[in-house]
Amino acid sequence: MARRRRQQFANWAIGFSLALFTVWTLAPILWLVVSSLMEQQALTATPPDFSAGSFTLQNYAEVMTAAAALGHGLLNSLIVAVATTAVALAVGAPAAYALARLQLPGAGLILLLILATQMFPGIVVAIPLFIVMSRVGLIDSRLGLIVVYLSFNLPIVIWILRGFFLGIPTGLERAASVDGASIFQTFRLIVLPISWPPIFATAIFAFIESWNEFFFALILTRQNAQTVPLVISQFAGQYQTVFGQMMAAAAMAVAPVVFLAVIFRRSIMQGFSEGMIKG
Amino acid sequence: MAKVELMGVTKRFGAHEVCANISLAIVDGEFVTLLGPPGCGKTTTLNMIAGLEDVTSGEIRMDGKIVNDLTPFERDVAMVFQNYALYPHMTVAENIGFTLRLRHMPRAEIAKRVEAIAEVLELTPSLGRLPFQLSGGQQQRVAIGRAMVREPKTFLFDEPFSNLDAALRVRMRSEIKLLHRRLGVTSIFVTHDQEEALSISDRVAVMNRGRVEQFGTPEEIYVRPVSRYVARFIGSPQIDLQEGEAVIAEHGSGFRVGGALFSLPRATAEILGHLGPLELGIRPEHVVLSERGVDAIVEIVQPVGPASFVALRWPGGLLTARAPGMSRLKAGEAVHFFVEPEQMMFFDKASGRRVLASPSRPEG
Amino acid sequence: MAGATLQQRRRRVGVVALLPAMAIILAILAYPMAASLWLSLHHVALAGGLLQQDFVGFANYRELFASDTFRLAVANSAFFSVCEVVAVVGLGLGVALLLNHPIGRFGLFRVLLIVPWAIAPVANAVLWKWILNANYGILNAVLVQVGLIDEYVTWLGTPARALYMLLIVDIWKSIPFIALLLLAGLQKIPAMLYRAARLDGANAWQQFRFVTLPSLRTTLAIAIILQTLWSFKLFDLIYVLTRGGPADGTLLLNYLAYRETFNFLHIGNGAAVANVVFFASLVLAILYIRLLRPGGRKAAA
Repeated sequence: MARRRRQQFANWAIGFSLALFTVWTLAPILWLVVSSLMEQQALTATPPDFSAGSFTLQNYAEVMTAAAALGHGLLNSLIVAVATTAVALAVGAPAAYALARLQLPGAGLILLLILATQMFPGIVVAIPLFIVMSRVGLIDSRLGLIVVYLSFNLPIVIWILRGFFLGIPTGLERAASVDGASIFQTFRLIVLPISWPPIFATAIFAFIESWNEFFFALILTRQNAQTVPLVISQFAGQYQTVFGQMMAAAAMAVAPVVFLAVIFRRSIMQGFSEGMIKG
Repeated sequence: MAKVELMGVTKRFGAHEVCANISLAIVDGEFVTLLGPPGCGKTTTLNMIAGLEDVTSGEIRMDGKIVNDLTPFERDVAMVFQNYALYPHMTVAENIGFTLRLRHMPRAEIAKRVEAIAEVLELTPSLGRLPFQLSGGQQQRVAIGRAMVREPKTFLFDEPFSNLDAALRVRMRSEIKLLHRRLGVTSIFVTHDQEEALSISDRVAVMNRGRVEQFGTPEEIYVRPVSRYVARFIGSPQIDLQEGEAVIAEHGSGFRVGGALFSLPRATAEILGHLGPLELGIRPEHVVLSERGVDAIVEIVQPVGPASFVALRWPGGLLTARAPGMSRLKAGEAVHFFVEPEQMMFFDKASGRRVLASPSRPEG
Repeated sequence: MAGATLQQRRRRVGVVALLPAMAIILAILAYPMAASLWLSLHHVALAGGLLQQDFVGFANYRELFASDTFRLAVANSAFFSVCEVVAVVGLGLGVALLLNHPIGRFGLFRVLLIVPWAIAPVANAVLWKWILNANYGILNAVLVQVGLIDEYVTWLGTPARALYMLLIVDIWKSIPFIALLLLAGLQKIPAMLYRAARLDGANAWQQFRFVTLPSLRTTLAIAIILQTLWSFKLFDLIYVLTRGGPADGTLLLNYLAYRETFNFLHIGNGAAVANVVFFASLVLAILYIRLLRPGGRKAAA
């Protein structure tokens, strides 16, 4: 009898904790959306005015038309993220396969290098990179950003895909070899077709990382190649802030990526956590 | 059809020697099995023959030509893998035809060949299916079909039946044997199942820790094993081995194990007496339960249908006897057994080599 | 390719496949890392748009370790990292356990976990800047309504408060992902172990202590190291919320490096700070790699 009670209490406690966690996590995000739909007057009232009349789509309209910087930023972010992802996959997948299968000497060392590149803040390379980029004329260019983003997305792509390739039973590649396929043919016709899920997950991941990146965008861009994170930060730096618009801009910046992440959460989590835990 | 020769083939992974000085001469059109427990090097040897592993030292020749540095395709070998290794994203037809596609054969020609093979292997209704939609036996046949379509000079099989259930396994053995008879292609088969090896092979290479202990016909392996290892590996249930010593006397010469004496011709006992410490090997099927002979008590009776395996406790220890049919013996019953001298095998205790048995079999 | 062994052939292809990736990584990361090290040994000044470099050996580092600002940044960073890691991994474990329970199996929770991770750190910073706004922020409004405080607080107004708020914001963002990581580790524990423990008479707490924790040791260690490394990388939040203030109260090492380099143009100094962060990260990274190797895992298991 007491055990039943304890069990019920435990269940209740768990349910309550889960609810608490849900509120804690959801609340700020909810506020982001809600305040983006509210007028400045309603938001600056003390306390904020939640009556029906306070809600409007004006913020989004304003942000999209008046603040052209956001549209420009979205375009830049899109181009940079897509290009980075595409190249990272094209270059990274074969590299990952080579490290997984082709018994290279010093593969251990290379892997160490790849892992190490993930482990430090951008400032470590920012100065020399900035100097080189200015000499080559890549400051404030999308190409410059792509190149830099590649450098830290590639290691992740290689790491995750290598983990996956290691898990493919070697029998398949042996059968292909016996059938007369070269290593390249084996990769293209056998390994790649069965690897779509992790490749896809890695692509989403690289896209998200590129889209959200702020530090290098801050340092390496001025006007032309500004990406969305930069535009958002500028919004927040103004004195006369229309809070609703700031939130609307943030919402628009965040929406595509959150959308992608939610849809592909399973593959992302699988690829990432396996890569981080299994090595 | 190819003649395959291994000369002094050795394989080392770092410091670890997996295969040591393997030399085999396989005749054109022969069906040879590499037999041994897991880890004995048989699969590695097969992979080296296939060209999927490099040879550390030694030569592999096919039809007299050294093939060490040739790709599997260039060696004209085809292989059936243990886990079938079917391409999961391709249909049965595509799986079988993959190798032809790589050779840029025209599609019509590929289709023709694939259909022909499918018919032989009774796979025609499955041609459009994906591997995961097939049963184990069907997948196995697709794997065989993929090998056959190559029309290679040598077939290699890497424990292809280990993932099948017992009944299917036995059936596949006859199918393989029929196929071999039909196609007549040199075949090299790897398995750890000694019954399988004996039933389908022309010759068997029994391997132990990277070496070939004996390479001979099933009969040679079974009746005249060259060592204790081979004798123990072949035959189920396992051969019984007991230490003992030769007894030489006017009447009643033989080999004494424990308190019991197995009678032998005096000449044989004399020969045995000159050798070092020996072990006597008796196969269960050679233990004859009768009125006369050594005393024993029945410990356990295990009827399996066509025979029963009876564990006998006798002064020398525990012995397994193979009795015909479903035996009526009960535990605790007192019985007698004897063994014909010709069936006894003697092994040198130290080296494990089989020594001369009886004068009636001069070649041992 | 005749005459080449299988091994050689595969190596050749492997090198070709790996070359482009390695070229990019080495050129864009390895070279600047080395250059950064080199720069930190110089006194760098911009004179007329050009870089003047004077080799000064370890002078920058000596200056650094003697500087109060640097020491403050180190203290702040140490405090921040320790607090954050303890909170994130501890609470993350709690969340993971909750989600592993039958009640927590709903997909909604998994969705919840991935969203904070997907939000750009900058956007997160902007959001929280708004939430923590001294005059109109929702946090103030709610707390006053509920009666927990009497008047509006400038959350980012004093050094201590600002640092705590920074902690809370980043903890909020970091818990979900670590929770997911630990959840993955939890789900790998075979149910059989729990059943055996229950048969042996273990209650819930004992099961946690003797089955869950030992099995989770490696994953926990990894989570701790990863979160520590990520805490070193914190930048966007500081840039948007406090710029290191007030009174350097939220000055962390990473931001200090940025400020020295790009605001004050003390390039040599900035590089020195950056390298300090780098070496701290390197030590942790090596630990992490050791843990991933089979030997490391056996030792931890």
